[in-house]
Amino acid sequence: MIHAKNLNKQFGDFVAVDNVSFSAPDGAVTGLLGPNGAGKTTSLRMIYGLMKPGGGSVEIDGIDMVAKPLDAQKRIGVLPDLSGLYPRLTAREHIIYYGQLQGIEKAELNRRIAHWIEILDLSGIIDRRVAGFSHGERTKVALARAIVHDPQNILLDEPTNGLDVMSTRAVRELIRHLRAEGRCVVFSSHVMQEVSALCDRIVVMGRGKVVAEGTPEELLALTGMTSLEDAFVSLVGPHGEAA
Amino acid sequence: MNKIWIVAVKEWTDGFRDRRSLYTLLISALFGPLMIGFMFSQIASQQKGAQEIKIPVVGRQHAPVLINWLTQQSGVEVVDGPADPEAAVRDRKSDFVLVIEKEFAEKFRDSRPAPVQVVSDVTSQSTRSKVSRLNSLLNGFSSEMGGMRLMARGVSPVIVSALKVEQIDIATSQQRAAMIFNFIPMFLVISLFTAGMPIASDSTAGERERGSLEPLLLNPIPRWQLVTGKWMAAMGAALLGMLLTLAVTLVMLSRLALEELGIRNHVGTGQLILLLAATAPMALLAPAVQMFVSCFAKSFKEAQSYLGLLMIAPTIPGIAAVFYPLTNRPWLHPIPVLGQYAMVTEILGGKAPEPLMLVAATLTAAILTAVLLSLATRLFTSEKIIFGR
Repeated sequence: MIHAKNLNKQFGDFVAVDNVSFSAPDGAVTGLLGPNGAGKTTSLRMIYGLMKPGGGSVEIDGIDMVAKPLDAQKRIGVLPDLSGLYPRLTAREHIIYYGQLQGIEKAELNRRIAHWIEILDLSGIIDRRVAGFSHGERTKVALARAIVHDPQNILLDEPTNGLDVMSTRAVRELIRHLRAEGRCVVFSSHVMQEVSALCDRIVVMGRGKVVAEGTPEELLALTGMTSLEDAFVSLVGPHGEAA
Repeated sequence: MNKIWIVAVKEWTDGFRDRRSLYTLLISALFGPLMIGFMFSQIASQQKGAQEIKIPVVGRQHAPVLINWLTQQSGVEVVDGPADPEAAVRDRKSDFVLVIEKEFAEKFRDSRPAPVQVVSDVTSQSTRSKVSRLNSLLNGFSSEMGGMRLMARGVSPVIVSALKVEQIDIATSQQRAAMIFNFIPMFLVISLFTAGMPIASDSTAGERERGSLEPLLLNPIPRWQLVTGKWMAAMGAALLGMLLTLAVTLVMLSRLALEELGIRNHVGTGQLILLLAATAPMALLAPAVQMFVSCFAKSFKEAQSYLGLLMIAPTIPGIAAVFYPLTNRPWLHPIPVLGQYAMVTEILGGKAPEPLMLVAATLTAAILTAVLLSLATRLFTSEKIIFGR
């Protein structure tokens, strides 16, 4: 369960995030939808606690992110915008490294790695160094290490960006799997189809503000449009300006 | 503590899979000692060359006594000189030529000073030791003959010596050999810097460049532990590089015949421990400086170019210390880099630094390291560093 309340962030004179509030419930996928530069990444960075909010608050399962970042971060798994890997380490070593930093015992860690090998179909690459991995393979490794500690809340910043069809499918299946386990999943995207295919709830952002929030049906009703794409355009404006 | 160790082990594993860092480690460990070895053997061969001397003589028929005497001296060979001695020396065909003039025989017979000329080029460094050997041979002949003449007249040759001069031999080659010794501390400190560099820059600037810093910081580990773990890995590599350099240096010193160069090799087990104690503080400090500097770089390459410039810092006082030895100035000891140079030079010279100074040197280095690491920790929390690319 994630609550973001009145988040603000300013870089110099530029207001990147302006009074953003939304909630993401457990057992559902919440999509942050908006054009590039709408403030999605900045909002997520404040939610996962690496960026200090200029104002407002973030609660993860009732724990305040600003006051107790280490406790709150234990409850989230994050795939940031940039999820670089270490070219000289194997896929397994990546997952072990993060698992150890999360304080997971060895036997339990091995059990979880076996679990993720199966879910993400990593068996062919698990003991190879990641230097030659494809973009899809990298994303899978980054995902596995991001959620190795079995967090209740999962934040994914444009997880399918630049992925091929097969890898996109694998990521979508993973997101559905996590929802079925009753977790709170938040993911951002600027791709309409991505959001409509997965999300139970959509938070539409434009120019640093939340423009609309609700289920896909609610958004259609709100705008009086018949397709989500038209609804999106009418909400953020044809040039990405919030209406 | 446990998490610091996890980070250190990861960085260490990652670093040592990088061929670049292995090569720099090996090169840095071998370069210094090999250069010192080369310089020593150069001096040794020069000195040997001075002992064994070939004297080109023009007009040997005028002075059979002198030629006889010369050939009886050890390591001396007399050969026929060139027709034009001055031209031969000017064109570097001969290092020097001994010219015996016509009136030598007559004047020698009359017990008057018999003229000889030594033709040489004073500006030529390489021949200087040979020329001075020739001069001392000629002086030896002169005083031996003079003594015999006095005895023939019933006078003791002792009365012409108003002074009894005892030569304490500090030949130029020995000075130069001792000077080379002063390079050893510099190479030790440089090896610390080069060996620690790959991990120090890859674990900071490299982490930013790959975009792996952001996900890493999301793990529940305090930033200072993360920084300390990375520093420990770099320090391990730096220490390894320094130990390797020290080992190669010591093996090389034991192989070189230092005694022939008039240098006593003082290095035993006790000195070895002292050497380590004297240089260890820099092993703490060097990786901390490198990490702090690398935090400002956005890429591994950028960091490497900063760190390359940083290397000049220990090199300049190192070279200066070769010409202006830092010994007998204990107040230098606690100052990083300068202290290491002073202490290592003293230890190699057979003098132990004060234990208090060793403690002081370690303390200043440890305090500086702590300051730098806490500054680096601050940078690791800065949004500009985490997200700025």
